[in-house]
Amino acid sequence: MMAIRELKVCLLGDTGVGKSSIVCRFVQDHFDHNISPTIGASFMTKTVPCGNELHKFLIWDTAGQERFHSLAPMYYRGSAAAVIVYDITKQDSFYTLKKWVKELKEHGPENIVMAIAGNKCDLSDIREVPLKDAKEYAESIGAIVVETSAKNAINIEELFQGISRQIPPLDPHENGNNGIKLVKPTSQASRRCC
Amino acid sequence: MADTLPSEFDVIVIGTGLPESIIAAACSRSGRRVLHVDSRSYYGGNWASFSFSGLLSWLKEHQENSDIENDSPVWQDQILENEEAIALSRKDKTIQHVEVFCYASQDLHEDVEEAGALQKNHALVTSANSTEAADSSFLPMEDESLSTMNCEMLTEQTPSSDPENALEVNGAEVTGEKENHCDDKTCVPSTSAEDVSENVPIAEDTTEQPKKNRITYSQIIKEGRRFNIDLVSKLLYSRGLLIDLLIKSNVSRYAEFKNITRILAFREGRVEQVPCSRADVFNSKQLTMVEKRMLMKFLTFCMEYEKYPDEYKGYEDITFYEYLKTQKLTPNLQYIVLHSIAMTSETASSTIDGLKATRNFLHCLGRYGNTPFLFPLYGQGELPQCFCRMCAVFGGIYCLRHSVQCLVVDKESRKCKAIIDQFGQRIISEHFLVEDSYFSENMCSRVQYRQISRAVLITDRSVLKTDSDQQISILTVPAEEPGMFAVRVIELCSSTMTCMKGTYLVHLTCTSSKTAREDLEPVVQKLFIPYTEMEIENEQVEKPRILWALYFNMRDSSDISRSCYKDLPSNVYVCSGPDCGLGNDNAVKQAETLFQEICPSEDFCPPPPNPEDIVLDGDGLQPEASESSAIPEANSETFKESTNLGNLEESSE
Repeated sequence: MMAIRELKVCLLGDTGVGKSSIVCRFVQDHFDHNISPTIGASFMTKTVPCGNELHKFLIWDTAGQERFHSLAPMYYRGSAAAVIVYDITKQDSFYTLKKWVKELKEHGPENIVMAIAGNKCDLSDIREVPLKDAKEYAESIGAIVVETSAKNAINIEELFQGISRQIPPLDPHENGNNGIKLVKPTSQASRRCC
Repeated sequence: MADTLPSEFDVIVIGTGLPESIIAAACSRSGRRVLHVDSRSYYGGNWASFSFSGLLSWLKEHQENSDIENDSPVWQDQILENEEAIALSRKDKTIQHVEVFCYASQDLHEDVEEAGALQKNHALVTSANSTEAADSSFLPMEDESLSTMNCEMLTEQTPSSDPENALEVNGAEVTGEKENHCDDKTCVPSTSAEDVSENVPIAEDTTEQPKKNRITYSQIIKEGRRFNIDLVSKLLYSRGLLIDLLIKSNVSRYAEFKNITRILAFREGRVEQVPCSRADVFNSKQLTMVEKRMLMKFLTFCMEYEKYPDEYKGYEDITFYEYLKTQKLTPNLQYIVLHSIAMTSETASSTIDGLKATRNFLHCLGRYGNTPFLFPLYGQGELPQCFCRMCAVFGGIYCLRHSVQCLVVDKESRKCKAIIDQFGQRIISEHFLVEDSYFSENMCSRVQYRQISRAVLITDRSVLKTDSDQQISILTVPAEEPGMFAVRVIELCSSTMTCMKGTYLVHLTCTSSKTAREDLEPVVQKLFIPYTEMEIENEQVEKPRILWALYFNMRDSSDISRSCYKDLPSNVYVCSGPDCGLGNDNAVKQAETLFQEICPSEDFCPPPPNPEDIVLDGDGLQPEASESSAIPEANSETFKESTNLGNLEESSE
């Protein structure tokens, strides 16, 4: 029986770069040109094996709060990793990437694994952001970088595998600070989790 | 900002405090189109929590906001003939009498920055405005300039009881220190960030801190991100309305909590632990065997006091304090029940109120732990954000740093029909929720506000040392003289994620009778001593030492009748700022009441729907929206996983 580790992953990036599509492809292996907003689902989960552990990703969506630059600090709390997405066909989205990294450093936990995804790589004929630029930047901040296509299922699995590999092994001394999760009264056990 | 706001909503909520955020979530959940704005750059209004540098910026703002330049486009032109405007206030007048004292030594480096943060922090030592201090003893005041701020560094004296004198001295000293860029007592230049973090005592370290582990001001700055300093200090009753709402709405999955581990009492100059569970009572070393039996018997009665009317009928007209004297309880036990369990005072509660409070306390015991209270990790300021996320997940639109210039009222119907925002955009809506502090002085001229006195201390050890240094404690210090109020002290340890390791964050709160410092300093002096280098030499110092202290008064706008606000249109609802109480019931009740007015007979924050039941409108007319809002259809497996999040511990163990 492999141990399951829950890893919160938060998504960052401008509106329209394909954050939700990446998660959708990863979790459901599904792509919809016109995904409609579904309400009430604020994160999705997928469990993948990594070494002798199972990594259960809890992937949080911005729920649109990034649109007017109003993401709440609680969004970043306890994240093991962040996926910062830009659109390779939009230079602007690469510029603002740096702004998201800055915000992450301000509000995110220390030692958060950062993964940069240059999405829409199926549209490389109208590319505005050279891969070299992204690689240089990623290196400068110690992030993983990969170009992805949620549409054509390119590098999506690889992106999350890359994150899994960067997650430091479980430190047995680390589990000192578990908070209490509040649960439905029907459940008997109402104590610590994880 | 390329994106512009839609121009029509069902509900516009102005302010992101707890009541507003709950209402926003509830309305969004009920399918209303919600716009939620706040003129500030952070969530929570006066319910917010800040990192240390964030708090310094907040302090600075409250010094400077007397001169907000009005560079927004004029909205008057937009008001039609059949309309009127209610201008909203652009400055926050809810915080007064801000005073800061720094006792931790400042080292040579002036430009210490918060590690990891890219934002440059504002210097604490701003020009101290000390001249008004003498006038600051009366409440309430409208004049911004009366908010004073001063900083005392490494001065031997405790803040003196003579405010005028102290402030002037401090003001002078601050300037002096700053110019010299040096500190005569700290000769070692500050080390690199890594060294500093090594110096910070680790959580498990319960032994006396060696001398080198003293905490300097620059360490506090560098570790500033570790702090989440609440403007309001509250706890959640484990069976209170807020816990119920968090669970019912599933918003609880966005937050984690810690149990308050100790209830403390302050008696005869000493801090002691109050036994509250059965096991506590029997293990208590302070109580005699007889007292233990008396206390158990009385508490058992309180649990079901209504069943034994003979026990309290006839005492209904006297105070709970008097009533306790008639019971078989020693003075020691009377004190514990009155102040630490019922959390009331000699004069404040009748017998019935006291019995109710005691029963409520006992009822909350054991649900999550040994005390009736929970505290959110990262601070109380997380809670409004959690409800905002819920609102956003259901399509609510969020805009911080977005101010509203005025409400537009239709002259004939006397209803509000739109707002005009800072960009001059007119946004129409059916309902408008406005937090009290956004109203202009004219609008609130008939309102009598109470005030809350607050102090925030960073200290180097707990008020009551035990073998664990990770205790979360609440202590009630009764009022000393008539006309004053009992002071609530909440001490948070670093595992609450609200302060750096090796420090404690102490919140003091009471209803104001004077300025915050005048109200709270006597209690601070009883429990703490200022941090100075000297004391380190004389070994065992009993009291915790204060590294940094902040005092301020906050307006209490709770329980104000809407008729006090002038000419309020019927579809404009007022949300209050934080109240002085310990729990959050007031905010939840308020939110539910207002929600029922906006959405009559609809369920208040029901659990999110089963994602399998969500019907997708698959013709995809809103490709833009697809990015802005939530997540596509979840398969059944995903659904199971995500809805089980409330029960994480079951699946992971």
